[in-house]
Amino acid sequence: MSFRIDRRRFLMGSSAVLAAGAAGFRPAFADDTNLRQIFWGSKARADRTFQANDLYTKANPATKISGEFYAWNDYWPKLATMTGGGNAPDIIQMDYRYIVEYANRQAIAPLDSFVGKELDLHDFDQDQIEGGKVGGKLFGISLGANSVASIVNTKAFEEAGFPVPDNNSTYDDLMAAGEAFKKANIRGGMKAFQDGSGVEPLLENWLRQRGKALYTADGKLAFDGDDMVAWFKLWKGLRDAGAVVGPDDQALDTGPLESTMVALGKAAVTFANSNQLIAFQAIVKDPVTIASFPRIAKGSKGGHYRKPSMFWSIAGASKLQSDSAKYLSFFVNDKTAAPVIGIERGIPCSASVRDLIAPGLSPQDQISLHFVSNLGDLIGPIPPSPPANAGEVDTQLITASQEVAFGQKSPEDAGPEFVKTASDILSRKG
Amino acid sequence: MTSETAGTIRANERAKKLVRRRIFSVVAHIVLIAASICMLYPLLWMLSASFRPQDEIFNSNSLIPSSVNIAAYVRGWASGLQITFATFFANSFIISILSVIGNLAACSLTAFAFARLKFWGRGFWFALMLGTLMLPYQVTLIPQYVLFRNLGWVNTFLPLVVPKFLAADSFFIFLMVQFFRGIPRELDEAAMIDGCSTFGIYWRIMLPLSLPVLVTAGIFTFIFTWDDFFAPLIYLNDMKNYTVTLALRSFVDSSGESDWGGLFAMSILSLIPIFLFFLFFQRLLIEGIATTGIKR
Amino acid sequence: MTVRSIDGGVAAAQGAARASAWSKFWHRNAAGYGFLTPWLIGFFGLTIGPALISLYLSFTDFNLLQAPTWVGDANYLRIFTADPKFLQAMRVTFFYVLFSVPLKLAFALAVAMLLNRGLKGLPLYRAVFYLPSLLGASVAIAVLWRQLFQGDGLINRLLATVGIEGPSWISNPRYALWTLVLLSIWQFGSPMIIFLAGLRQIPGDMYEAAAIDGASKPRQFWSITLPLLTPVVFFNAIIQTIDAFKSFTPAFIISSGTGNPINSTLFYTLYLYQEAFGFFRMGYAAALAWILLIIIAVFTGVSFLSSRYWVHYDE
Repeated sequence: MSFRIDRRRFLMGSSAVLAAGAAGFRPAFADDTNLRQIFWGSKARADRTFQANDLYTKANPATKISGEFYAWNDYWPKLATMTGGGNAPDIIQMDYRYIVEYANRQAIAPLDSFVGKELDLHDFDQDQIEGGKVGGKLFGISLGANSVASIVNTKAFEEAGFPVPDNNSTYDDLMAAGEAFKKANIRGGMKAFQDGSGVEPLLENWLRQRGKALYTADGKLAFDGDDMVAWFKLWKGLRDAGAVVGPDDQALDTGPLESTMVALGKAAVTFANSNQLIAFQAIVKDPVTIASFPRIAKGSKGGHYRKPSMFWSIAGASKLQSDSAKYLSFFVNDKTAAPVIGIERGIPCSASVRDLIAPGLSPQDQISLHFVSNLGDLIGPIPPSPPANAGEVDTQLITASQEVAFGQKSPEDAGPEFVKTASDILSRKG
Repeated sequence: MTSETAGTIRANERAKKLVRRRIFSVVAHIVLIAASICMLYPLLWMLSASFRPQDEIFNSNSLIPSSVNIAAYVRGWASGLQITFATFFANSFIISILSVIGNLAACSLTAFAFARLKFWGRGFWFALMLGTLMLPYQVTLIPQYVLFRNLGWVNTFLPLVVPKFLAADSFFIFLMVQFFRGIPRELDEAAMIDGCSTFGIYWRIMLPLSLPVLVTAGIFTFIFTWDDFFAPLIYLNDMKNYTVTLALRSFVDSSGESDWGGLFAMSILSLIPIFLFFLFFQRLLIEGIATTGIKR
Repeated sequence: MTVRSIDGGVAAAQGAARASAWSKFWHRNAAGYGFLTPWLIGFFGLTIGPALISLYLSFTDFNLLQAPTWVGDANYLRIFTADPKFLQAMRVTFFYVLFSVPLKLAFALAVAMLLNRGLKGLPLYRAVFYLPSLLGASVAIAVLWRQLFQGDGLINRLLATVGIEGPSWISNPRYALWTLVLLSIWQFGSPMIIFLAGLRQIPGDMYEAAAIDGASKPRQFWSITLPLLTPVVFFNAIIQTIDAFKSFTPAFIISSGTGNPINSTLFYTLYLYQEAFGFFRMGYAAALAWILLIIIAVFTGVSFLSSRYWVHYDE
């Protein structure tokens, strides 16, 4: 059998393909104002956002919004490429970790000139406004307040016969819980807590309770080698006692939610953020709830702070900054959009919006809302925005914690080494 | 030795050979089946996961789901937005087919030049051609993006397809060169004596004799293009232009809510076109050339 | 008059010689360059520009969001004298290349030969073995691999049936890289298909003639199959090696871009990606890229030189 393509069929076939493909070859033309928007998230978030966009267009018929969204890992290279290529969308979702980088390089625009005019923030939480400032200027509008939180598998604690952790639990309670889980030996050896030695927000929380912090206002480390030795020793003790998961299991957690210890069923508590409760519940069969990060002793305070979960920013090179600002204002204030947006991105920062949607929230959403609003003495002042290269320090912490956990380094060595490496990272130019 | 004993001896030998053949066949099949299970297990897991409720996916240990539910497929297909996966499949198909055409045409021309024609600087250009394979794309990404942006091609299929028509895939050039060099030169010379032009040699001798490698290149181009997510990620903005692989990535958000069932369901569906494409065209690999054109 | 005409004749002859030298050059090379035209357009239009720009960037600090600033050889100096992660990335990548390429090719060739014998169900088997390669860069692979290779994953449960207690392969710094080697081998479908195509191109009458001459099956393999297959073996070896050096997606998906545990899966291009997009140091990443290119080029060049001794083209 020989394979022959009938010439006519080939031509017809390929012209059909080309014609169909031509649809993808014509760039879009804008008639009225066309705002471009980019954000990270999954379909759940996209649905809500596009619905809100539709509401905006209904209220402002001359404005169209074309939104694109990507997974977290894809979002940053895409955004950086578009920005580097001079093609960034007008409305950009920003993260606490990157906002400093983008602001300092004028990739996003200062918003101060719009406040009070296009941008209505009159009943916005003050600390959330502060959270969006870099170098004193406002660069991002907080889309929701969240706080660090422990995600707790309540059913597992029931089975182990130990009280569920709450906002008063301490590190000693952590050890006690560990013992209880060891004795109970449920679910194939489930441990009480994950190994938190590589979790930067947990370290920050712990430092703040000791009166220190991660970074100073002028971008240097605000802790020293002794702190780090104590930190690594603390977690080594917990590991050796079997209260927290061992290194092999903890290293399975590479960042995404589905690789965390609670999702994998290896521990009953994972350290995360308050607005992730719903996401966790979706992949864990048992009921989960949230509690604070552990206190270092009874009554110790000031570890937590309410931070913006994410921001809307406006591209520095955008030609439609005023229109974008109007959209931003709509997103965080509008009463019809608020129920659609919900608390998926975080607890709304406008008091009136909060009051509006609170009654309509599901029980689990209510738990999140209640948690963030009632941290009480756990809350301390919001820290200064992190310096450039802070993300790299975070990465280094994970490596250092793994080195200690796998026994490659002792806490006494790892502590000062980490401080030195971190300082080098911070002082590296370019 | 009488003819009878000779006949029996031969019959015995033939019987022995048959038994050996059978044993070999059975052993081979056992080995292949075992290997197939290894190859397939992860896919079977994915198939099973696509039928499970979301909170069961990560903690269950068995392959069989507790209940079979096609909700993930329905949900995934609708993709929750105004655009269904039908659009994404169409886009992927268009881009992949065009890439196949472009690659086969441009790469075979280029490979013919490198393999068969003598010209000044051939070694130099060949080295450069291979060199383009060695530079990681992460660093040429931004300059290339700027280039395409200046051409106004961003948010269209052009950056994905045009390079194929310009033989940008050195992989296939190199592949075809190796195959062309395996075809005896006597055929070319015979044709030239008969008054065949250079293009004629390419068109009437080289290409027909290279059906295995052309089919292979076609299959690979289709699959590589279908599976590529990075170029579509960078160059496509409007969701209605997305390819399947790009759309699949939007199911999962590592920091928040994900639709794992939907992801697995659509991944399985996405495998079907490329699998079918492969099955259909691999027949050509079989038919291939058991005898070469020497007899022809 | 005769002198002038002779002069004129000589001049005309010289002019004609120059003209014919050019036309000879043109004649000899027109075909080659004619066929090369699409590639030349692509190369000069789309490839060379960005490549040279990336070379320029390697001598700058470029944070993606602002214009680059020249720093001379600072990036290269740092790479060679003060970058432990670079050394780690080299170690990881060389290890990966050394083990995954030969194993992958061996499997591919073995299975291709097995499938070439005309067994029943051949197309089905071929498709089954190619299926893993179709999964490409799916996010699903990370989940799958974790399910298989974690402490209580499938592999360990299988090993337990023969009494072996396996570690958590995928999250242990000593073994994590091996799971990536296995992932590469699992996707041996592509080189296998290419080997099959190569085997198919060997004319059947060669085997017939050899059989008539009394050659045994193994003899046929060594004297006919292998020599005629060398161009394809060479291709697969080069391509798989280059791919392995540049390998990015498996490590990216499985370690979520971290290269952990303890940077044991920090592939070179993953490190490059972190520097470029994670830490906004595109200039440094460009320097890393060009160093990788030189390494690969040296490898490839040596391979091509050695190919003269073992690759057999029927020319």
